[in-house]
Amino acid sequence: MKIIFTLNGKKVEAETTAQMTLLELLRQNFKLTAAKEGCGKGECGACTVFLNGSPINSCLKLAATLNENDSITTVEGLEEDKLMQRIRQSFTDEGAVQCGFCIPGMTLATHHLLSKNPKPSLTDIKTALAGNICRCTGYRKIEAAVKNAADKGE
Amino acid sequence: MSNYEFFKPQTVKEASDLLKNDGYLALSGGTDMLVKIKNGFFKNLKAVVYIGGLPFKEIKKENDKVIIGSGCTMEEVATNPIIKENYPTLVEAANTVGATQIRHMATIGGNVGNSSPAGDSIPALYSLDAQVVITNGTSQRTVEIKDFFTGPGRNVLQAGELIEAFVLPFRKTTGRFMKLGERSALAISKINLAVSAWEDNKKHYRVALGSVAPTVLRSKKAEEILENAAHPLTEEAIQKASEAARETADPITDIRSTKAYRKQMAGVLLRKALEK
Ligand SMILES: Cc1cc2nc3c(=O)[nH]c(=O)nc-3n(C[C@H](O)[C@H](O)[C@H](O)COP(=O)(O)OP(=O)(O)OC[C@H]3O[C@@H](n4cnc5c(N)ncnc54)[C@H](O)[C@@H]3O)c2cc1C
Ligand code: FES
Ligand code: FES
Repeated sequence: MKIIFTLNGKKVEAETTAQMTLLELLRQNFKLTAAKEGCGKGECGACTVFLNGSPINSCLKLAATLNENDSITTVEGLEEDKLMQRIRQSFTDEGAVQCGFCIPGMTLATHHLLSKNPKPSLTDIKTALAGNICRCTGYRKIEAAVKNAADKGE
Repeated sequence: MSNYEFFKPQTVKEASDLLKNDGYLALSGGTDMLVKIKNGFFKNLKAVVYIGGLPFKEIKKENDKVIIGSGCTMEEVATNPIIKENYPTLVEAANTVGATQIRHMATIGGNVGNSSPAGDSIPALYSLDAQVVITNGTSQRTVEIKDFFTGPGRNVLQAGELIEAFVLPFRKTTGRFMKLGERSALAISKINLAVSAWEDNKKHYRVALGSVAPTVLRSKKAEEILENAAHPLTEEAIQKASEAARETADPITDIRSTKAYRKQMAGVLLRKALEK
């Protein structure tokens, strides 16, 4: 079936099946591979994208549920975004990236946090990233990167 | 994955007619449904009926009632000004469902529709005397939340029926929601507890426990002790109420926890909720 929605600021049309998830649609039909499948069950956050500006697990959303007025944003759509650029720089500066698999989801969760709460406490940071699993870093450096991005926002 | 069909009805009547078919299931936020579909839980899934297009998304105050549309997400519930002002227990409960990403998808109607005894919004709804408005597209019926569930994963909905909304008596309550799981985010509750209180001529308490029995339970004994106690609550009253909560609990032993532990924790959580 045909669906129409906005993807990274552009109206797009796609052919989907009843069973296809938004994550599969993004990766297979649009070749947007920043969002990744870790668990496929809503637990790891690697598939995080924004739906109408809010983070969701794209592995749990059927593509067919998208409406014409829905807007999806992936990391690829935030190349020019000032906040995202700052977050990316902080993740690099703090050495918060190892294999990188979790990073698109981590940086989107961070973007959502900082756009709502520019001066988060450590607890705010931990809560905001609770849905994102990283098997490499042990989280300390990720938390430091978020803090760093917040501090640079002044 | 099976080869189910997909429907996106625009009216409640249309949705209801579709859902009368064998093997047709309602899909709202999808956070329970997609996991179950991927796990092969449904042996006879013929179609998914997406109800996100239905007008179930509003939270409003009407006379002496507050109406919460079943399609509101946990995030929408937790950040709504009317809910924040009057029902802190529900705010806390909604805020503990999964992590941010899940809370932006998971709906309160889906949490109740899924009817897990561990569903976190359920004890909160019990503690607020919620009623469930059920529709089939042509007529409505209303049941008390305690009469909605018939067992783990089971409820009174007939084929073609949907939860339209939850209705709470409008009153300013205080309260807490407490939950014990393996880790704070994404944990299925081993046990959860909601306490709500309000005052008119006298003090009223509601104590509801989840994951301690096939459905959520109220501890009327604990409520009575609290309602008749002097305020501020004494250590003795808290002790007695906690013991009553422990006695109410009738849990099972499963992969998440043992029976003795759950009973013990029912008392501990109530104590914590009352002390805060
Ligand atoms: C990683 C993860 C973490 C989770 N953590 C928690 C948690 O901490 N606490 C918790 O309580 N839950 C948790 N859940 C479970 C789930 O997110 C909630 O139960 C959620 O509220 C379900 O809502 P939904 O809109 O996604 O429902 P769906 O998956 O769309 O539907 C769930 C069920 O309800 C039915 N349904 C949906 N809407 C209606 C309606 N309006 N009328 C009648 N039936 C309806 C569906 O047919 C289905 O049977 C978690 C899930 C995941 C994947
Ligand atoms: S892939 Fe979606 S949460 Fe893990
Ligand atoms: S950097 Fe490897 S999973 Fe996070």
